[in-house]
Amino acid sequence: MTDLQAKLIEIVGEQNVFKDEDVLETYYKRYADNFLVKSPIKPKLVVKVKKKEDIQEILKLANAQNFSVVPVSSKAVDPNASDAPHSENTIILDLTEMNQVLIVDRKNRMCMIEPGVSFGQLFPIVKKEGLRLLTPLLPACNKSVVTTALEREPITIPRYQWDSSDPLLCTEVVFGTGDLFRTGSAAGPGTIEEQRASGQAQKNPLGPTQFDPFRIIQGAQGTIGIVTWISLKCELLPDTRKILYVQAEKLENLLDFLYTLLKRRFGDELFIVNNLNLASLIRETSAEITKLKGKLSPWTLIIGLGGRQPYGQAKLEFLEAELNDIAKEQGIQLLNEIENISNEDVIKIFDNCTKNPWKLRYLGGSQDIFFLTTLDKTPRFIDTFNKIVESTQFSKDDIGVYIQPLVQGCNCHCEFNIYYNPSDTNIKQKARELFEKASIQLMDQGAFFSRPYGIWAEEMYKRVSPVVVDSLQKVKAIFDPKNVLNRGALCFKEESA
Amino acid sequence: MIKDNEYEALEKIVGSQNISREPVILDTYAFQWCAELLNVINDKPPARYYLRPAAVILPSSTEEIQQIVRVCNKYGLKFKAFSTGLGPWNCVSTPRTIQIDLRRMNKIVKIDTKNQYAVVEPYVSGAQLQAEVMKFGLNCHMPGAGPQVSPLASATSMAGPGFTSASTGFAGRNVLGVEWVLPSGDLLQLGALGQKNDPDWFTGDGPGPSLRGIMRGFVGAKSGLGIFTKVAVKLYPFPSKPEWKISGESPNYKFEIPNYLKFYIINYKDWDALTNALRRFEEEEISFMCYYASRGAICASFANSREEMFSYYSIHTRLKRPLTLMIGAQTEREFEYKKKIVEGLIQETGGKDYTKKIKIRDVSYAEALRCLLGFHGFLITGCFQSTHGGMDTIEMAIRMAKLNAPIKRKFIEKGGIADDQGEGVWLATYERGHMAHCEMPTMYDATKPESVVGWVEYAHACDELDLKEHLGIPFFIEGDKQHEWYGPHCMNYHIWLRKIKEAFDPQNIADPGFYITSKKTS
Repeated sequence: MTDLQAKLIEIVGEQNVFKDEDVLETYYKRYADNFLVKSPIKPKLVVKVKKKEDIQEILKLANAQNFSVVPVSSKAVDPNASDAPHSENTIILDLTEMNQVLIVDRKNRMCMIEPGVSFGQLFPIVKKEGLRLLTPLLPACNKSVVTTALEREPITIPRYQWDSSDPLLCTEVVFGTGDLFRTGSAAGPGTIEEQRASGQAQKNPLGPTQFDPFRIIQGAQGTIGIVTWISLKCELLPDTRKILYVQAEKLENLLDFLYTLLKRRFGDELFIVNNLNLASLIRETSAEITKLKGKLSPWTLIIGLGGRQPYGQAKLEFLEAELNDIAKEQGIQLLNEIENISNEDVIKIFDNCTKNPWKLRYLGGSQDIFFLTTLDKTPRFIDTFNKIVESTQFSKDDIGVYIQPLVQGCNCHCEFNIYYNPSDTNIKQKARELFEKASIQLMDQGAFFSRPYGIWAEEMYKRVSPVVVDSLQKVKAIFDPKNVLNRGALCFKEESA
Repeated sequence: MIKDNEYEALEKIVGSQNISREPVILDTYAFQWCAELLNVINDKPPARYYLRPAAVILPSSTEEIQQIVRVCNKYGLKFKAFSTGLGPWNCVSTPRTIQIDLRRMNKIVKIDTKNQYAVVEPYVSGAQLQAEVMKFGLNCHMPGAGPQVSPLASATSMAGPGFTSASTGFAGRNVLGVEWVLPSGDLLQLGALGQKNDPDWFTGDGPGPSLRGIMRGFVGAKSGLGIFTKVAVKLYPFPSKPEWKISGESPNYKFEIPNYLKFYIINYKDWDALTNALRRFEEEEISFMCYYASRGAICASFANSREEMFSYYSIHTRLKRPLTLMIGAQTEREFEYKKKIVEGLIQETGGKDYTKKIKIRDVSYAEALRCLLGFHGFLITGCFQSTHGGMDTIEMAIRMAKLNAPIKRKFIEKGGIADDQGEGVWLATYERGHMAHCEMPTMYDATKPESVVGWVEYAHACDELDLKEHLGIPFFIEGDKQHEWYGPHCMNYHIWLRKIKEAFDPQNIADPGFYITSKKTS
């Protein structure tokens, strides 16, 4: 037993420190094959924690003994490999057992959860209280809700995203120094209990006072602090639903209509998918997906409407009539249903999670390329991507596209899914080649990779002003001066420790 | 104060016509609304002038600002930015500080009508921006301070609550791309603007952590961490038909109310009923504006003179806890739908519609659209400033109003602040009721020392109340003294804030008086 192992056992107990090869291999396998990971590194140890005090102790030890700590909150494999160590001397801090739903508050439309809380766990709890979560498109049931919020993953209802940070509100965090902090109105005055007694609900993410530390923690891939709970913005669960569709041969034909809806703040769920992605969301097996895909238009805009009693029906009637008028004016055919797909199937992908991740249903493997841009620029990026697909001789039939308007329409998430059979080495190699080539060319064209995982980070930080990098490094030096948190990720190289 | 060679180095950058060290010019920057309050807070006489800057300089571009900041670094001068400049926090707070007046940077750089944002320079006012974006059926968030202030200053450096916050949010949450001159003189561009290929304004976050996190918090750094030269702010749909037909002369303008807008004043019998009503109206997502202002404030809001305000006395006595609501629509169908919901909600929440009992002039609609209602707060004494300001839930904001009233009454009895029966409150909802803030506009006489002192003593009691009752952090917790008081009660945040200042501005070149001081100064 190493000295480090002994010290960790002192903190969390023997049963929570793992050095067995098979355990380490399990964690390693989560990211080893991911195209974003250049040279996969196996962790030295895995430590399971349940208390914030233990996290503090471990980070203090990391500062003293100079090892790196990578937090993992999801049982689900992260398709972006954000949990892959970038440094040889790394331990994994497994937070999956910190999984308490601390508060669900219908009146204030929020919940407070620990990092290990999964979508499968949280959905029924919030629904019971009449709340809905603001989630990524059909998340995996065993995925951490906290991780998606911290990673600024896109949510499907743009009109509820007032700021890019939504739905994340307040956080409790242990900085790299080992210091505990609470952000936003949760900072105080008063304890959380005292704040709640005064009528607060940790709803204001801003501050305390003249800085917003939650924005530094968010998008940091665990390099600034380890979050022990977050408060999360929820909305009211609709009891009346309606789905509308617009289909098109060309993406461009959907954009003006979509822009109008965004400007009027119409529509709850609002996104565009290509035929392969729509089929993958609706069907469970490769054969069913292939069959359905062939019957769908290349592009579909999905518009979810919702209302609640006592005004739900009136709301839906008003919305549908308005949308019909806009569609008529713009020469758009607004559909109440799509052939071969039931509205019930579509509604199921909202306010729900899946045990069968939709991006793995078609061929078993998927690697995603995603970035932020604006809707009007998406056709240009799609054109570029298609040309690279052609040049790499990858099958264009195995490409998914997902376009998600964000921040009430100010920008959008543009995502390409490269589907492949992971057991076919040749195809896998072609997929990797396409992934690497397309990532670079899209960056060169101005695609803004705002969440630069793995190999994207180095490429992306080369393409931004050095003042940005310098400023980020100054911030890192404040909250994690010895670079113990996810050392080597983003622009925080190992040598800066 | 400023040496000849220092002055000459600055003059070289902007030309002699754009720099001055004449006392007569400099004092115009020191004369500020509420300066007397800050003087008293800092144990000085209640003068209406704050500190005189060492010089004032008017750059015309980001590059000139970078050069000016580098000169400051070279000679150990400090700088303080000034955009539209409302309030003493625009003043310099230490000697040898130059005022950088940004009025020559007054361009609307871009209006992206599709992606709903505008890029503005510091001296563009809310009114100017609104006038331009409404041509495209769009609107901008404006703070309660009014349409004459800079959206850039509000979004990057100040606070940001507004009368329309229910539908246009909070200034600090409306920020996209940012161009920022750091205290070193380096240019930092946030988000997609910082990338070399096709830089654009549509996001200010990333890659990776968002540097918006150090730019500002609930309130801004007030130039304590550099100068913002351009910002992209989110735009919102204009709430009605974007028409603006106004005639007449001040203050008796006539305004043709555009289709489709409607004001409501709905009276509730007590705080509980009001709390429920605010929540319910916001849950239905129909409002353009939704806030609580005390009955006195309602009477002031719709009056053009003290006499007119007092003529509302009979209404004043009948109003208890009035909710102010405005709805807007693009089509008749939408308007009818929203009116129907309002009628239903009034019944459901036990409110009484007082709209017809109050004479709401057509021009009040223009004032609402243009965020001018706050100006009526000056009607009685000619001056007011708010205390408190914490933001979280509607319930917390209501509790703050309730707890504040007896304290305020005590200070009214003592003399000093004006008598509003302790009820002067503005409580606004944000983002469809997800948040609310509460502040207590408090009238005083800026020309009478005892009144100024009365306001300061009352404000201190408010800050103490917020600490004791856990009502969030007030607006004006800024500067070393206040941070060192509140910090230990709030996770010692002041230690981290100071580290940011020290990392980016160890020598305090950016005036730290309304932010926090680096202790690394050699």
